[in-house]
Amino acid sequence: MKRILALLMTMSLLVVACGDSADDGPAATADDPATIEMWIAFSDEDRLGFAQDRAAEFSAEHPEYIVEVTAFDSYNTVFEQAQLAIDEGNPPEIIHFFEAATQEALDAVNADGDPIFTSVTDAIGDRTEILGEPVVLGDVVSAATNYYTIDGELYSMPWNTSSTTMFSNMDILNAAGITEPPATWAEVEAACDAIMALPDAPSEGCITWPNHGWFYEQSLGQMGADLVNNDNGRSDRATEIFLDSPEAVAYVEWWSGLEQAGHYVYTGVQRDWDGTSAAFQAQNVAMLIYSSSDTTALTQAGVDNGFEVRSSYMPYNQDIAYEGNLIGGATLWLANGLSTAEQDGALAFLNFFSNPENAAEWHKLTGYIPITNAAVDMLADEGFYDESPNSAVASEQLDAAANTPAATGALVGNFVAIRDVVTAAVEDILVNDVDVKERMGSAQAEAQQLLDDYNELYAE
Amino acid sequence: MSGSLYLVLSLVAGIATGVLSFGWPVETATERRGAFGPGPAGRGVIGGLLGLGGAATILGAMGLCMFAADAEATEGVLAIGLAAAFGWMFGAAAKAFVDRGDSGGSGFGDSEIRTGAYRLGWYWPWLLLSPTLIILVFFLYWPAIQTFRLSTKLTRLGAPRQGERCLANFSELLVPEPVLVAALPLAAIGLMWGVGLWHRRANPSTWGYSVARTVRPLGIVVLLVALYFIFESQDGGYRQIYLNTLIISVGTVALSMVAGLALAYLTFRRVRGITVYRTLLIWPYAISPPIAGILFFMMFNATGGVVAAVTARWGIDFPDYTQNATLARLTIILASVWKLLGYNLLFFLAGLQTVPRDQIEAAALDGANAWNRFRLIVLPALGPISFFLLITNLTYSFFDVYGTIDFLTKGAPAGATSVAIYEIIRVGVDNGDLGRGAAQSVVLFLAVIGLTAWQFKQSEGRINYGGA
Repeated sequence: MKRILALLMTMSLLVVACGDSADDGPAATADDPATIEMWIAFSDEDRLGFAQDRAAEFSAEHPEYIVEVTAFDSYNTVFEQAQLAIDEGNPPEIIHFFEAATQEALDAVNADGDPIFTSVTDAIGDRTEILGEPVVLGDVVSAATNYYTIDGELYSMPWNTSSTTMFSNMDILNAAGITEPPATWAEVEAACDAIMALPDAPSEGCITWPNHGWFYEQSLGQMGADLVNNDNGRSDRATEIFLDSPEAVAYVEWWSGLEQAGHYVYTGVQRDWDGTSAAFQAQNVAMLIYSSSDTTALTQAGVDNGFEVRSSYMPYNQDIAYEGNLIGGATLWLANGLSTAEQDGALAFLNFFSNPENAAEWHKLTGYIPITNAAVDMLADEGFYDESPNSAVASEQLDAAANTPAATGALVGNFVAIRDVVTAAVEDILVNDVDVKERMGSAQAEAQQLLDDYNELYAE
Repeated sequence: MSGSLYLVLSLVAGIATGVLSFGWPVETATERRGAFGPGPAGRGVIGGLLGLGGAATILGAMGLCMFAADAEATEGVLAIGLAAAFGWMFGAAAKAFVDRGDSGGSGFGDSEIRTGAYRLGWYWPWLLLSPTLIILVFFLYWPAIQTFRLSTKLTRLGAPRQGERCLANFSELLVPEPVLVAALPLAAIGLMWGVGLWHRRANPSTWGYSVARTVRPLGIVVLLVALYFIFESQDGGYRQIYLNTLIISVGTVALSMVAGLALAYLTFRRVRGITVYRTLLIWPYAISPPIAGILFFMMFNATGGVVAAVTARWGIDFPDYTQNATLARLTIILASVWKLLGYNLLFFLAGLQTVPRDQIEAAALDGANAWNRFRLIVLPALGPISFFLLITNLTYSFFDVYGTIDFLTKGAPAGATSVAIYEIIRVGVDNGDLGRGAAQSVVLFLAVIGLTAWQFKQSEGRINYGGA
């Protein structure tokens, strides 16, 4: 409560300090440039730096606009701040928001009950270029298009998009007589048996990945199981959740079995991206299932520490037909109610931001997939994938996914809190060895309550 | 049970507490002088009416929602508690007003003794107080009232509408058996009160008196155990949070006070360079709780920690505190104790300087050994300081421990170190569930109020602030 009050007061001060109206103003000119504010959830040097560089380039090309990038420390902070700014009538034009909160972004309204965001597809209309910047929205790769398309419309401009891939320390795998990274759950178990039998087996264990809801959802997608009803929330608003479906229980049982066998390393912290990654980089584990967003960094870590890192698809359940892995990441949302000049500037910037050159550079910098087909082709043509084969894995894995609701991913309100219910249950299972089915059952009840609460507040 | 039964019980509870707080104990300042008219019976009636008014005010303000057909039975039980609390408050407020009237000043009643009166008019004190009052109202009372209001809602930041939850945000923290929820705390309070009464009435020379005296402080333990059983025990239920809070705060307070006193006693002597030792010992106080968390993380982390690296040289596999509930709690306690130690040391050192040296010397001459001198002279002299530290340390372990936990365990393993304040921020801020977050804040607020009141009562007459 106090925090919100403080936020409100800070925001009102800001509004007083720089209050400008968002009406249909005159067109922007180089003498009186319009400001396009972009709020992003990356505050690290690489990713924030990338956005700032692109903003500077765009402003240089279009002197009638100044693109200002503001960094926040998390998606939640961006969203919270944006909501308050919108209530004060001074919204940023572009807001960076992550996939799990898509439903929340769609449902978000201001004090008058108008939607906070507007559809990018709608705003672009049938234009093929805006202020001279070619429109690239239609060229976005299918996995991202499918995920972010709601009621047949791509609502926001995809930016950082990744999938879960596995990274293997091939030096250790080769020592255990394994030549290819394991592709299925059974192969992972067999590989771990061999690896842990080595005289100099990795000190912590065989494999690790963060206890994060995203990996659980990926496994459901692989097995073709929906997380929520109404075609994973894509044909209509999701009202029921299935945390303890047989597929979900199978995955968590496999996971806890690996842990009990001493193969899976639990760092003891939920959503532990740093600890798991550090264990792999220090060669304390042989395999890491992770976000492809860190492909570049993890591959480089192998080079720096003297071992070969190979990226491969996320292992799947060999007993159930593979359906597909899903995306993760975030998109850029366009604020509602902008003047024509502001909106065109924002749209031009969004398309510039993900034009083939920029999308390709973003991919090289991080490992997030190249977001348009043109960028993929460009990278292939320049031979990038031949010299960095790891970088192609995430795109290939997403291309191989079926276009079904399960393999596209769920659209559901209160998703972040629901993910936390999953990770809390998994932690209980991993640490206290409680019964998987029972524990997922109580998690199911808890998550259903969260969804019911959300729908009570937001559903029409 | 039906809602109307709960309504009747609530009103009765309000009347009962109104009578208790307004008209009891029997002899008031008024009665001694016979200034305030009505006798015991009249006071009882007035108290009952006040209590009824209090109960009706709160229940009416909430629209009697807790007696609606779709309300859970536990909400009805909570309503009884709410009515009782408001009945008590109305009675106590009226009693304070009447007593104040008796001693002059405002209120009614007539007496020769008058408290100070401003010659410049009644509004002057208010005017002089207004800067403080305005700040208090805007930054303390208003947010507090908003928290109470929010705790009855289902709401999120930016949501287009709110849902009414009545007392459901509270009742879902409790076990779904209303009889248990009502009976256990009542039984515990009854037991505490009974033992207290026994203690007061018993003849000091008898065997019963010594028993009553010994078991009396255990009353709070009985209450704490009773509360343990009324919190929801399911996965993710509040019982776990309650237990964590209890273990971590009791552990932190006890250890930090004992260690603080021991170190203060050791450094309270003339040794060469003692000021250096003291300064070093006080340092941790200047470090913020999250930094304390990071420091202990660096030390105790099982894979990359300093301690693990040292023990590995001796061939000892240092256990991973994040995987073991006991170790995790112990680590949090140690980090908090380390952080609090400097503060406690500072106050105990100051306190030790006020211990009368002549008494210690006299006792030494009479043949009292060091332990007895410490126990019988030093400890009682430190009473006020200890009491102050008890309250501040408890506040620290209830509220400021968040940063330490967030950096050390994030509530792991499986929620074993998630204390009340950590859960409030997780639910209310991270999940954006403002209603449930507010409800949990209210629970924590009541716990702190209750504990502080209990400590004040316990220390009544036992702590000597010096003077006549």
